[in-house]
Amino acid sequence: METQTADDRSQTISTGFLDGARKNYPREVQYVIVALALAAITGLEIATYAAPGFPLWNWGEKAGLVSFLLLLMAIKFWTVAYFFMHLRFDKPILTRLFYSGVILAIGVYVAVMATLHGFRAGQH
Amino acid sequence: MADTAVVDHDAGAPHAHIEHDTNTGISNTKLGMWIFLASECLLFGGLITTYLLYKTPISVEQGPAPHQVYDIPFTSVSSFVLLMSSLTMVLAVAAIERGDHHRVRTWLVATALLGATFIAGQIYEFTVFVGEGMGYTTSRSSSAFYTLTGFHGVHVTVGIIMLVSLVLLSMRGKLPEHRSETVETVGLYWHFVDVVWIVIFAVVYLIP
Repeated sequence: METQTADDRSQTISTGFLDGARKNYPREVQYVIVALALAAITGLEIATYAAPGFPLWNWGEKAGLVSFLLLLMAIKFWTVAYFFMHLRFDKPILTRLFYSGVILAIGVYVAVMATLHGFRAGQH
Repeated sequence: MADTAVVDHDAGAPHAHIEHDTNTGISNTKLGMWIFLASECLLFGGLITTYLLYKTPISVEQGPAPHQVYDIPFTSVSSFVLLMSSLTMVLAVAAIERGDHHRVRTWLVATALLGATFIAGQIYEFTVFVGEGMGYTTSRSSSAFYTLTGFHGVHVTVGIIMLVSLVLLSMRGKLPEHRSETVETVGLYWHFVDVVWIVIFAVVYLIP
C-alpha cells in the first residue's frame, strides 16, 4: 500500500489558487442580459427562414445564408461557453481543454468528408 | 488533506465552496466533467458529420428527406425553450453560491420543466415525421437524423434526471452552499447540451 509522502503533498495545488481565474462570477442581471442577447440572435436565425430574400443574407446563391447562420451559431456557442459555462471566469486550462475537443471534432468532420468525397455534391 | 470552507460575502456574487488540494489546482470532479464534455464534442462531431454526409436520400423511393418534413417554426420554439433553460440553470448556480436554497430549488425545477418541454416537443416532432413516412429505417438520411437528434434527446433526459436528483438532495438538506460545485458541475453538462443543440439547430435545421 502506497503512502503519500511530504514531497508528494508539496506538489499539489489548492483549488482556491486562482491561476488566471476570476474570484467571482457575474451578477444575475448580467446572466439575464446575456440570455436576452442570445434570444435576439435566435430571432435573427429564425428571420433567415421567415424572410429568405432579405439582402443581409440573400447573396452569392446560398453562400450568404450559410455564412450568416454559421456566424450566428458560432457567436451563440461562444457566448454560452464563456458566460454560462464560466470559461471566461475560470482557469484558462479548462478553455484549452474544451476547445481541444471542439477542434478535434471539426478535424473529424473535415477528415470524414474529405475521405468520403462529402464536399463534392453527388459523390457520396 | 484538510478541506477549508470559503465564503466570500464582499463581492458582487458571493462564492461558497470547499477548497482542497489536487495535482492541477482544479477539483477532480470539475476537471473530469470538462474532459467528459471535450470527449462528447467528438461524439456529436461524428454524428453531425454522418448526418451531413447522408442528408440527401439516394432516391425518392426512399421516402421524404428530413429537410422536406421539418417544421422550422415549431423547432424554433423548442430551441428557444432550451436556450432559456440555460439561463435558469445558471441562476440556480448563482443561488446556491449565495446560499439561497429556496431559489436553488425553484430554478432547478424550472430548468427541468423547460428540458421536459423540449423533450415533449421532440417526441411530438418524431411522431409527426413518422406519420409523414420518415421512419428510422426509411433511408440513410432519416437514420442519421434520428440517431443525431435522438442522442441529443437522451442527453437532455439524463440532464433532467440529474436536475431532479439535485432538487431531492436540496429538499433533504444534503446540498449546502459549500457543495455548490455539485450544482455547477451539473450546470456544465446542461449548458453543453444547449451548445450542442445550438449547432444542431443551425447546421441540421436551418442551413439548406
